[in-house]
Amino acid sequence: MTQFAMLVLAMLAVAACHGSPPFVALEAGPPLRLVAAPGVRINARLKPALELDDGTVLRFDSPRVTPDSAYFAATPTVAAPPSRSRHGTLRLSVCPAGERLCRLVVMAVAW
Amino acid sequence: MGLLLAGVVAGTTAALRSAVPSVGGTPAPELTNTSWLNTHRPLRLSELHGRVVLLNFWVFTCGNCTRTVPSLVAYDRLYRERGLTIIGIHTPEFPPYAGEHDKGNLARALTRQGIAYPNAQDNDRRTWDAYGIRYWPSFILIDKRGMIRYTGYGEFHLDDGDFRTWDQRIQQLLAE
Repeated sequence: MTQFAMLVLAMLAVAACHGSPPFVALEAGPPLRLVAAPGVRINARLKPALELDDGTVLRFDSPRVTPDSAYFAATPTVAAPPSRSRHGTLRLSVCPAGERLCRLVVMAVAW
Repeated sequence: MGLLLAGVVAGTTAALRSAVPSVGGTPAPELTNTSWLNTHRPLRLSELHGRVVLLNFWVFTCGNCTRTVPSLVAYDRLYRERGLTIIGIHTPEFPPYAGEHDKGNLARALTRQGIAYPNAQDNDRRTWDAYGIRYWPSFILIDKRGMIRYTGYGEFHLDDGDFRTWDQRIQQLLAE
């Protein structure tokens, strides 16, 4: 299965479980990548966090942000320590196009 | 390579509410926050009866919130002396490791944004929850009797349509 196909499956899983549009999907990489759904902007002033079950917090980042530094302009990534657990809680702030507001998204993730 | 993603847990499913008037209103829950900036003591709505109060739920990491601040600063300048009290309810999105809970960071944000009106640190989300807020930024307009009259959310800008709508609502409640 291609990486793209796996991404689509992951997004569909979220939509099916909760009836709301998927805002992002996590690509296993390495590095771990946060891929925003079309029209969704990820808040760059509040860097997405992956909270591992052992208490480690990994922060996603990207060198490219919008001119006002509010959103990522390229896919944020983070290197996951190979010895750590491969599941945790993903926390990020998203700003869907046209809504003019920020939403907090919290997801249980595994990869 | 494996990949599995399961479950949106919080804050993403509610239908958007529109900012609609509630004739007569409902009583505004009291503010019980203990940490404040731009005021020498905690504010309580019960002490503000006779004034119109605009609550702005925001966080300094939210671009939609900070881009709306110039409009709120304008309302404060235009209407404070006429009886409007704007109160920022600063509610973090993330746990403390992100820095949003830090009073010094908030104080710097207030300075950076030119905010002179009072702000409460709502680090435990007590006021956010009491008002049933879901999005940043959100707004609650309370009349002189302490009743919620208008609610809404979403970024707006100086002199755009939403700015004028909120301006008219403020003037309406000030005139009552």
